[in-house]
Amino acid sequence: MLAGAKLTLFLFCFTLLFSLPLGLLFSFVRIGRRRIPRTIMGGYIWVMRGTPLLLQLFFVYYGLPFLPGFEGLIVLDRLPAASLTFVLNYAAYFAEIFRGGIASVDRGQYEAARVLGFSRYKTATKIVIPQMFKVVLPAVSNESITLVKDTALVTVLGLGELLHFAKIAVNRDSNVAAFAVAAIFYLAMTAALTGLFQKLETRYNYE
Amino acid sequence: MKNSEMLRVEGLQKSFGKLEVLKGVSLTVRKGDVIAVIGPSGSGKSTLLRSVVNLEKVSGGSIRVEGEYLVEDGRYATEKDQRRIAAKMSMVFQHFNLFPHMTVRDNLTCAPLIVKKEDPEQVFQRCRDLLRMVGLVEKIGSYPSQLSGGQKQRVAIARAMMMRPEILLFDEPTSSLDPELTGEVLAVMKDLAGKHMTMVVVTHEMGFAREAADEVLFMDEGIILEQGTPKEIFRTPKHERTRAFIEKVL
Repeated sequence: MLAGAKLTLFLFCFTLLFSLPLGLLFSFVRIGRRRIPRTIMGGYIWVMRGTPLLLQLFFVYYGLPFLPGFEGLIVLDRLPAASLTFVLNYAAYFAEIFRGGIASVDRGQYEAARVLGFSRYKTATKIVIPQMFKVVLPAVSNESITLVKDTALVTVLGLGELLHFAKIAVNRDSNVAAFAVAAIFYLAMTAALTGLFQKLETRYNYE
Repeated sequence: MKNSEMLRVEGLQKSFGKLEVLKGVSLTVRKGDVIAVIGPSGSGKSTLLRSVVNLEKVSGGSIRVEGEYLVEDGRYATEKDQRRIAAKMSMVFQHFNLFPHMTVRDNLTCAPLIVKKEDPEQVFQRCRDLLRMVGLVEKIGSYPSQLSGGQKQRVAIARAMMMRPEILLFDEPTSSLDPELTGEVLAVMKDLAGKHMTMVVVTHEMGFAREAADEVLFMDEGIILEQGTPKEIFRTPKHERTRAFIEKVL
């Protein structure tokens, strides 16, 4: 079961590490000036948020090898398939969260930055993103807690994460204790996350 | 260079869709001038100021700062020149627009350090000097949320001065303040006027216009209807509309 916990933890960290910056990038495209990328990103976010993550996992792992025109070309191993799907899925959610956070920054902030001579890039990195960061913290906290539990989905690809081994142990020993252990692990992770985000919120509580 | 021309606006036109906000506005500001722009809301005062500092794009006319065209007959200078010319001016906003995630110190020093890449020691020295001028040295480590409205606006004035502008523009600097807090902001502005800072002030504070301004412009429906010394505008206005406005606000 320890190996399972390790995989769960890996999937969680990997997803956050890549989906957060990717989500930020996506949100910029989503609110950008260029119309075609903006529309495509809107469609992407709609599909990723509008279909079950489970379906997306199946599609990437079982479906891509049979993609018409690319038969046998995109064959991913279980873990890369799961990691990729999670990153792409969560990036879509984070993109929407960040978009909302950016929209909450007052127009006057941009004007003040402009009059002070800030370039568009410096306005984004020094003025808008730091303020967005504070606004999106609660939503990002929520989303990361959901992610902890979503990792259990990869068991359907036969990946040996926490729940996978818990189920084996329960069947082997005819005893539910392993489920309780798994539950405690998930709870511990969400408790740690809640604490971490509370700390961040206090630290960025400038008003 | 005293009394040299700092800003010349000629025939400025600006529309928002079908609505014509500026219908050919012209004015000249000389070094050390304090110009008060008064008039009813919707008369185009703020749009005039925002166009001068390049926050709005005009549809016609010219804006010249120290002889250089920001826009000439509706044609704008290159992006790079626009930046350089607009950097000669700084602006104080109605809603302060301080950066809430930065301390007072960082609000003042961020642009000189990040944008202009000036020597930090000089920047911090200037920061302290300007905070002393607006009477807020002890708030250097505070966040904007810990300040009153009047204090915020004084910090905003100091921040604008950090850029060492040739011209300082004020867009209704006291309009979002509680009445008892306008005095401290106006005092700072009068102090600056006394130091011969070139200022264009859009304001509803007739007291300030009367006491501190060299020239008062009365704007109405997108044009400068009347301009003159405070005495002329307040005591002997030529136009009926000017008279009616002044009677209403005094």
